[in-house]
Formats: sequence, structure tokens, C-alpha cells
Amino acid sequence: MSIIRLALPNRGRGGSGLALAMPAVLLLLAFFVIPVAMLLLRSITEPEPGLQNYAALVGSPTYAKVFLNTFFVAGIVTLITVLIAFPVAWALTIMPRPWAAVIFAIIILSMWTNLLARTYAWMVLLQQTGLINRILISIGIIDQPLQLTNNLIGVTIGMVYIMLPFMILPLLGVIRKIDPSILQAAALCGATRWQALTRVLLPLATPGIASGGLMVFVMSLGYFVTPSLLGGTANMMLAELIAQQVQSLVNWGMGGAAAFILLVVTLGLYAVQLRFFEAREGTR
Amino acid sequence: MKMKALVVAAALTLAGGAAQAQQMVFTSWGGTTQDAQTKYWAKPLTEATGIAVVQDGPTDYGKIKAMVEANAVSWDVADVEFDWALQAGQKGLLEPLDFTVIDRAHLDPRFVSDYAVGSFYYSFVLGYNSAAFPGEKPATLADLFDTKKFPGKRTFYKWSAPGVIEAALLADGVKPEDLYPLDMERAFAKLDTIKKDIIWWEGGAKSQQLLASGEAPIGFFWNGRVAALQADGMNIGISWDQNITAADALVVPKGTKNKEAAMRFIAAATAAKAQADFAADTGYAPINTGSAALMKPDVRATLPDQQNALQVNADMAYWAAHRDEIGNRWYAWQAR
Repeated sequence: MSIIRLALPNRGRGGSGLALAMPAVLLLLAFFVIPVAMLLLRSITEPEPGLQNYAALVGSPTYAKVFLNTFFVAGIVTLITVLIAFPVAWALTIMPRPWAAVIFAIIILSMWTNLLARTYAWMVLLQQTGLINRILISIGIIDQPLQLTNNLIGVTIGMVYIMLPFMILPLLGVIRKIDPSILQAAALCGATRWQALTRVLLPLATPGIASGGLMVFVMSLGYFVTPSLLGGTANMMLAELIAQQVQSLVNWGMGGAAAFILLVVTLGLYAVQLRFFEAREGTR
Repeated sequence: MKMKALVVAAALTLAGGAAQAQQMVFTSWGGTTQDAQTKYWAKPLTEATGIAVVQDGPTDYGKIKAMVEANAVSWDVADVEFDWALQAGQKGLLEPLDFTVIDRAHLDPRFVSDYAVGSFYYSFVLGYNSAAFPGEKPATLADLFDTKKFPGKRTFYKWSAPGVIEAALLADGVKPEDLYPLDMERAFAKLDTIKKDIIWWEGGAKSQQLLASGEAPIGFFWNGRVAALQADGMNIGISWDQNITAADALVVPKGTKNKEAAMRFIAAATAAKAQADFAADTGYAPINTGSAALMKPDVRATLPDQQNALQVNADMAYWAAHRDEIGNRWYAWQAR
């Protein structure tokens, strides 16, 4: 219900809106909805009809660990991304214009650079014989190289870096609309800086944090390249499991089941966000 | 020279008329290996017959299955792992090969089946960065698993395939003749002893990067990749002790519209000279029994087929029969 309402905001002019949306709808139908339906069908028919693929996914401790890993990594990445993106977005808002424009351009440019190239760059920087370890050793902070790749640290660094723009942009949109004099008002009323942040700025920025956070979390759930290159097998994520099943084992039933579970989780989260925002819109 | 070849190819194409102006697609794993396949297999075929060979890749078993099921096969010949080829043949994903076009008599019988012939064969070998081990050098598979004697990260092939499980069992003292059926639990127990020190390589380029940089100073590699590093003048050592052979295969996905061209491509690729030239360039062994005589002795000496005495052959038929089961257990163990 809420999805329909969001998709067709101008219900009075719904007819022409629908016609305009037709090309996109048909494209999605042909190249997304139907293939996904076929994948779902495979997940309950291969190698034989039944729910054995789902039972295997849910029942095995290995796959349970992969699911847990996936949510854990996505959660950590989202949390760290928020912590870094919030000050950046705030700084961009209060900074003098020319500087803000330069930094904004750098953030956007990083999004346009090839994902694989950026991930390989991190691999070279983070490995044991890489630049970061060599610098730390040469200035005497550590004796032994730190293990920064092929584990959770590598995945987290690489993914936070890639996700940052997706958090900064929605946050910026919301924070820019906040009237800075509101903070002065808070100070005049006797709020400390901390209180001004937690009781004024953060609540007002919550819609940005929520939509950016959800986007980052959902994108992280299905991420493949970065975990596969910077992570180890011990913290395998769901997308890698799907790739293994589809490409290496040619077991599309199992791959389809895992993909479908991921899709359901994602749609569920999306529904929660819609409801949350609808509720907020209503109170205004 | 190149221009002339082009002109000749064009002339042949024109002379043959539209009916013979064939085009086919070959897919392989990229990198230096596919470059060599293009140079020594595809180009001579095009020059001799006018069949244009389009290169694609990387090979993806999921895609092959999808193409065959949808009856929309766009890869006419694929370079695949031999055990997958045997399994895919049984599952009906492949065209039977036409041995009136492909000369079976001169192919190593270890690498010929109704649906697949060898593309080249290779060995998994112990490779090490000599700078990391200034004293005693690693020599046996047991050394590969001995982190006290040879400390540091070690790198192994990530995907479920013949090689690493066999190596673990041999290192644990299993005799080569007792390897099959594979004792997976014993192999995992042995691998568990070094699991925290393993960095997995998923492709040849990464394996070279790990070894050359010293990120993983020791590991288990495709012999051709180690040979390439040595040829670049790097201080890399190799031990052939209990090198484990496996092979790639050339297959034709079922339902291709260019079956005739595909068979001719395979015939050209497995010919004695094509196999000899490819082997000399890549360090992988030829599967044509007539190739050896066409190669320089010093080049031949570096190939896996000169290491027969130290060699352990991975059992492709066993792998083909148990590929799914081994794969599921392998990935489950990795994620554990």
C-alpha cells in the first residue's frame, strides 16, 4: 500500500504518470522481475522440487555464519560510515563556499573512479609489504607488519571508503536545510555544545542518517568485489557464497535460494524505512 | 608481415565466398595464457582456413550452463578445468567431439574423453621467494605446511579443484597410491594447522603478486606462473617434489551453431606444433605426443612433463564424480 502511494505521489494525475513510467516498468519487468521470479522458481525446483535449498541454508552452521558475517560487516560499515560522514557533511555546510565546492568535487570524483581499481589500490596500500605497513615500521611505531588485509579490517576499511559518498550526499541534503541560527538559539537557551549536538542537530539530521544508513547497509549486504579482494574466507559474505554456488559449483538452486533470502531481507528493510518516513512526514 | 597475413586472410575469405566466411568464439581465462592461445592456436587457424576467432572470457561455468539451457550458445569452444569437463559431459552440457576432424591418435590418452580433449596440462608446484628463506630452502610439501621451519603466510588456490586437498594429504604422509578416495577430514585437519596463515589466490595474477612481493613468501602455484616470474629475473625458487598434475580441457557447449568451426579450432589447437609453441611460451606441458620433438631441449627441461618421476596425477574421474560434494565441503570448511 505504502509503496504504491510512494510510487504514484500524484494520484489525481495517475493515468498520465503511469503511461510515462511504462518504459521503465517494462524494462524492469523484462530484465529484473521475470529473471528474479525464474531464480526463485529454480531455488524450489533444483535439484528437485521442495524447500531443501532453504532448509540447507538455514540449517547449516556454516551458512548461518555467512549470514551473520554479512549482517555484522554491513552493520559495522554503516556505523563507521555515519561516524565519519556526519562531521564531513556538517563541515561542508558551514565551510566557506569555494572550499566546500572543492571537497564536494573530490567526494563525487571518488565515486566515478572504477570500483575495482580503488579496491586494488587498497590491497596494495594495506598488505603486509604495503605502503602503510612500511611507513609505520620505518618510523618505528611497529616492528612487525600489521595484518590489514584478508580479514575484517581490510573489508571494513575498503567498504567504508567506497560507501562514504552514499552517506555524505543524503546527509548533506538534510543538514543544509537546517537553519544554523537554531544552534545559536540552543546556546542562548543555555545548551552546552554537546547538548546542542545531541538534542538539536542530531534529531534534525535523523532523516538523512536513516536514509543514508539504510542505503549503505543494503548496498553492503550484497557487496561482492571488496569483500572478495580484501577479506578472507573466514569472514565470507553472502554475495561470495552466491558466486561460489552459481559459478564454481553450478548449483543454481542453492544460489537462487541465497539470493532470494537477501532480496527479501532488503525489501523488508526498505519497507521499514518507508513506514518510518511516512510516519515522520505525517507528524509535520 | 602482419599486414600480409591480414591480406591473405581477407583474400582467402573472399575466395571462399560467404558460405565459408565463418566466425567462432573462444573463451578462456585471460592473462598471458589466453594471449598465447590466441597467438599459437587461433591466428594460425585463421590464416589457414579464414575462420575468424573472437576471444572472450573469463570462462564461467554458470554462463555455459545458462547458454546451453536457453539454447543460445555464444561460446563455441571453451577452455575449462578437466574435471569439470568430464562432469559437464555426463550432465549433457557438451557436444561430443568429432574425432574425424580432431586427430586422436597423437593425443596423450590421459587427457582425452568423448566430450573433451586436453588444452594443456600443468602442475601445482611449491614455489617460494628465495629472499625470505636465506638459509635452508623449502623442498617438500611437508615444508609447505611447516610454519616453524618456514614461517610466513602461504598462499593456496581458493576454488574447489584438484590440487590443494591432495597436497595436504601428501604432506600429512599419505602415499600417492592411497590418495583416492580423498580423506577430506584428514586433509582439513592438516590444513587447519596453517589456516590462519593462508592467503587464498583466486587467479594466476594474484598468485604471482603475492609471491613476488613477499606478501606470501611460499605457496602452491600453477607451474607456468612461477616460470613466468623466474623468466622475469625474479629470485623465485621452485620444488617439483610431488608436483600434482591437473589439466585444462577444450570443450564445445551443446547447441553451438558453429560446430564445424569449433571442431576445426580444437584440431588446430591440439596439433603438435600449436601445442609445442604454446608450451614453450607458457611453461605448461603439451598434450600432443608429437610436440616434444619440436621443442628446444632446454625449454623442454622446464616443463612438468619432465618431472614424471616426482609427479602425482590428480584423479580427474574421481573429481568429476565427486565435484559437487567436495566443493560444498571445501567452501564450508573455508568459511568455518
